[in-house]
Amino acid sequence: MLRQIILNLFGKKPAIGMDAIRAMVGDVAGEPGAGGPARLDAVFKRSIRIRQVDAGSCNACEWECTALGNPIYDVSRFGIDFVASPRHADVILVTGPVSLGMAQALKKTYLAMPEPKIVIACGDCARDGGVYRGAYGVLDGAASVVPVDGYIPGCPPSPAAIMKCIMDILESAAK
Amino acid sequence: MYPENENYIEVSPADFPRKCAEYSRRHFLRMIFAADERELDGHFRVYAVFSPMGEDRFDILTMKLGEDNLSYESITPLVPAAHWYEREMRDMFGIIPEGHPDGRPLCMHGMYGGVYPLRRDVSAADIKKAVDLSREDGYSFMRVKGEGVYEIPVGPVHAGIIEPGHFRFSAVGETIYHLDPRLFFTHKGTEKLFESRGFMDGVELSERISGVSSFSHSSAYCMAVERMAGMEISPRAKAVRTLVIEMERLYNHIGDIGNMCAGTGFALGYAKGALLKESLMALNDRLTGSRYLRGINVTGGVTRDVFDAADDIISTLDGVKTGFKHFMEFLLDSVSHIERLEGTGLLSREIALKMGATGPAARASGISDDIRRAHPHLSYGSLVFEAHTYQKGDVYSRMMVRREEVECSFSIIDSLIECRHEGELRIPAGRFPAGGSALGYTEGPRGSIFYWIKAAGDGSPLRVKVRSASFCNWPLISYAIHGNIVPDFPLVNKSFNLSYSGCDL
Ligand code: SF4
Repeated sequence: MLRQIILNLFGKKPAIGMDAIRAMVGDVAGEPGAGGPARLDAVFKRSIRIRQVDAGSCNACEWECTALGNPIYDVSRFGIDFVASPRHADVILVTGPVSLGMAQALKKTYLAMPEPKIVIACGDCARDGGVYRGAYGVLDGAASVVPVDGYIPGCPPSPAAIMKCIMDILESAAK
Repeated sequence: MYPENENYIEVSPADFPRKCAEYSRRHFLRMIFAADERELDGHFRVYAVFSPMGEDRFDILTMKLGEDNLSYESITPLVPAAHWYEREMRDMFGIIPEGHPDGRPLCMHGMYGGVYPLRRDVSAADIKKAVDLSREDGYSFMRVKGEGVYEIPVGPVHAGIIEPGHFRFSAVGETIYHLDPRLFFTHKGTEKLFESRGFMDGVELSERISGVSSFSHSSAYCMAVERMAGMEISPRAKAVRTLVIEMERLYNHIGDIGNMCAGTGFALGYAKGALLKESLMALNDRLTGSRYLRGINVTGGVTRDVFDAADDIISTLDGVKTGFKHFMEFLLDSVSHIERLEGTGLLSREIALKMGATGPAARASGISDDIRRAHPHLSYGSLVFEAHTYQKGDVYSRMMVRREEVECSFSIIDSLIECRHEGELRIPAGRFPAGGSALGYTEGPRGSIFYWIKAAGDGSPLRVKVRSASFCNWPLISYAIHGNIVPDFPLVNKSFNLSYSGCDL
């Protein structure tokens, strides 16, 4: 046991996650991963708080957000955190087509956020209802309830795509 | 006209509850649902699907109800497992179970204003017209009275990255006396949406009913369509589906065991589980082009032969096997973690049976029921494996059942790879007989999944009934949490791994 702990502390660690970082930042100047973590730091300034709101998703979109916290992606090392309250959030990340049952809750979450508010619709459902478009119990996308600043396509978008799109959206919002 | 293991038995409404009670003694109740078949013969119909223990057959009791009298005597007082099904039929069709102990709505929240969405003469536009988002829900939660009892309301938006639902705890100090869950916040109108698509186009929707059960759902759906149209898919397509269903079980079960660590605040265990799960998700992606195993099932077969990538499967799973073995040893050695699991969230065998539990939740309470064995389908008939049970019904048992099933999935995948599977990947579509119907089913990671479909006079869908495992298991959580402390709720909840979207539809 003790030996294991010492080995863990001083042993050579496999460089997990480098591919994941490359996928998250995308190709910069043709070279994969150039300025990888640097770009993450430049955009997020080591602090971004995201409140995720499930507005009737199938749950795959949430699992991809959850995966961002696993040791492969481990986005908290760049200062990115998913928070429990909208009061602490810079961004709300909406998933799902907005079921009627969640419309009020989504609106309230948005209102509870401090300014400036950024809303990102994550997944095809949140964009326009996706596969659920036209069903009687949905409002065909997040924009029907809250103003949306950007979209992340995919069903579900991969964890890397979620991170990359959030970065792109924040960059263009800052301009 | 019906698939050969489906045996329909016509019962009069007056006899229906008694007959159901009689069948439930030696059969498993699989589901109860209604269909509006007025366009075929002027009636609504209620179906109760039972399977006799130890036989590959479905005994389906059915009764006709005329439009002018949509009430019948409730089954629930005799067969408690019927309780949610009956409330569901009342909300969706306006079929009244007289004497049901719980008169509250289940699926339809107040904003719907009492429309019956699954009636065939009610269109999606009609329902939207009836909706008023500001209408009060007026749901009355069950109250526990007495000195020191207080309520804790939680949700629908929770603290973590999870699905929405409302929980009303009645607690005394830290101890939970009663939990009244209020779900169906994510109700989207999925069953009705199926009716607006052709049978062949429903696969994509079935894949999106519950994210981490995408493939089990689409397999059960495709199976129903194929059985109705008399399509016999090739042994090769069957083997592909079987393998991918087991892949889905693997990433779910391993992920769930890891997630239970989050329930006890054991960060290292959680991280280890997440790593193993991630390598399985990456394998899913390489095999099928989707981390959630979407896009591979089609009616009539599959789009890809995953056996082409057998080398990748073998080498990746070798790594996962070793990793999982160490992971389990590590967890079982972690006394502080295991201590929290033992004796927590007890679900007795008696309650599990009475309330119709399914999947690992049932098997952890000593019920040996697994659709893969009870109704051999796909390649399962030619494989040898056990239904693993534990007796105690606590969180620990639910973890251990999953562990056994992970091992079992590894060996199923190994034996599938050893054999050659012949045949076409996909066979052409058959014809859908007017008024034809069929069941489709499989054992998903959370338990049994059932579909029942019926064609209208023109061969388009008249009814697509979806019964996910979580619909059966959600009501159990109130029993399992009784007498536990509030901080153990996330742990107990994770040990059941229930889907909101799959239940709410
Ligand atoms: S976009 Fe796709 S993955 Fe995301 S919630 Fe919708 S159906 Fe599920």
